[in-house]
Amino acid sequence: MSPAPVIPTDSRTPHWRAWLLLAPMVAWLVLFVVVPTAILLVYSFCERDEVGRVLFSFTLENYRRVADPVYLRIFLRSIGYAGLTTIICIVVGYPVAYCIGRAREDWRQRLLLLVMVPFWTSFLIRTYAWITILKQEGLLNGFVQQLSPTAKPFDLLYTPTAVVIGLVYAYLPFMILPIYGSVEKLDGALIEAAHDLGAGPLRVFSSVIIPLTMPGIAAGTLLVFVPAVGMFAITDLMGGARVPLIGNVIQNQFLQARDWPFGAALGAVFMGLFALTYWIMLKLGAHSEDSVA
Amino acid sequence: MKTPRLILPALLALVMSVVPARAGGELNLFGWSEYIPQTVIDGFTKETGVKVNFETYASNEELLSKLVAGGGSYDLVQPSDYAAEVMIRQKLLSALDPKLIPNLQNLAPDFRHRAHDPEGAYTVPYMSGTVGIVVNTDKVKTPVKGYHDVFTPAFKDRIVVLNDTRELVTWALYTLNLPINSITPEALAKARPVVAEWVKLVKVFDSDSPKTALLNGDVDVGIVWSGEAALLWKENKKFVYVIPAEGAHQFIDVLAIPANAKNKEAAHQFINYILRPEVSVLISEAFPYTNPNLAARKLLSAEQLANPASYPPGTPKLETFRDIGKAAADVDRLVTDLKSAR
Repeated sequence: MSPAPVIPTDSRTPHWRAWLLLAPMVAWLVLFVVVPTAILLVYSFCERDEVGRVLFSFTLENYRRVADPVYLRIFLRSIGYAGLTTIICIVVGYPVAYCIGRAREDWRQRLLLLVMVPFWTSFLIRTYAWITILKQEGLLNGFVQQLSPTAKPFDLLYTPTAVVIGLVYAYLPFMILPIYGSVEKLDGALIEAAHDLGAGPLRVFSSVIIPLTMPGIAAGTLLVFVPAVGMFAITDLMGGARVPLIGNVIQNQFLQARDWPFGAALGAVFMGLFALTYWIMLKLGAHSEDSVA
Repeated sequence: MKTPRLILPALLALVMSVVPARAGGELNLFGWSEYIPQTVIDGFTKETGVKVNFETYASNEELLSKLVAGGGSYDLVQPSDYAAEVMIRQKLLSALDPKLIPNLQNLAPDFRHRAHDPEGAYTVPYMSGTVGIVVNTDKVKTPVKGYHDVFTPAFKDRIVVLNDTRELVTWALYTLNLPINSITPEALAKARPVVAEWVKLVKVFDSDSPKTALLNGDVDVGIVWSGEAALLWKENKKFVYVIPAEGAHQFIDVLAIPANAKNKEAAHQFINYILRPEVSVLISEAFPYTNPNLAARKLLSAEQLANPASYPPGTPKLETFRDIGKAAADVDRLVTDLKSAR
């Protein structure tokens, strides 16, 4: 990236000093985003030898294997799990974020802290804690037995339900925080105006509050959905590795199968699909805004 | 999970890259986590003055990746049989000098000169084990003898098995009376319906700690590493280990010296030290696998020798894995397909 020529007549063209200010950011992006992605792309067209070394000879074999319906089905299932997780996170997280955002100012920081506290413990330890709660002779079933000794114990651990519980638990804060950001900025005068104009509480919520906090919901959705699609540790630990998601398949290629080129091809296709979805959503968003205007 | 175990080795690697190694006085040992007792390493250092830098890994694949990537120079590694076979073929190992290892005579002959190293020129067996059935006899009253007795509708959602595609297919091949080391598309086609039925019955797939689900009471039967089964038996005698009647996978973990090792002398010294009966017995106490060291077995207690997971009675059919090359990808695809079909 070379500095843009300085044309004094146009003040919007960035000065070389602006580029200098941006340099750390650009270097960071190149080093940690562009270069790794390029390596991934190059590997995805390579072959492997029997000990798993990457051989730099061009092949499309890896992409042919990705097109296998097996992986397509796993990919669709991963999107299903991540979608369900995102919806539950919105339903559970929105009221929490709204209450914190509308709470008295001196309470907000304390309540936010409560949302953050779990992050002080390692993610894996928190997942193991869930195993202790959900297992057959675990805390939940022990509690249920205390209440009614005849009840049949819940069979939760190592089921898809356990996977969704784990995913929601892991990503809920990433939904609450951006929505909180939107709620906090919400202009109370607009809500009052809606009431004055005769809107009931439901109408105010659906026509005023939701649209105004939409940026928070959108950001939260992105922050929850994208990492949830690729998650592999929760499916292994809480799902008993019974149903593979795309994250497990990719992890397996890099570790047990030692097939880095195939893993890279899966990763590249995965990334391409995300970019495509994002682009389509952007186009649709821009289009609907145009029609409103 | 393997992630937390990687942190310590990573830190060690970082420290070692900063502190230059003194030539001659150090041994860079790369071994399995939870396999070499610290007392043994300390004892070696005390006797020889050789400082041991011990790094660990959690799978043969991790070892192979590091070794071929040329990251770090190791003097002694601890692969399993099939990984050692690939390493010998790829000329990654250095031939041993038997004159420097007089204690080789302590080893049982049937653990040496196996298919992965027919001449015994590159590897020395460290410990051996099998993959077999564990039954919680408090919950299961019917006799369980082979794979067919485990994968029955009666045990639906009461089974834990290793999360390993090759193992799963191997068990199916055993029930079909097919060879486990020459995997053809025809054999896989026959194994497919068997494995398809089995995965529907399994509750947990776990290679890292399959004993956890058994201890927690989430399952009643399992097909697991014999080392895990031996620890379960030590914990509670209700966990009984059975070698499947159809045949079972035996693994032999070996010690070997990489071709680019810097301190081969210390590596030979360490191998010889570990083969001493009084040292080898310490390893057996901490990690109750099958000890190939006959002189050390004489020092084991009656209870240790009675552990059916360490020293299975009778003469079961046992085979080691050979490298199956490109077929591994087919096995992987088959199991991934069947697991995702549920």
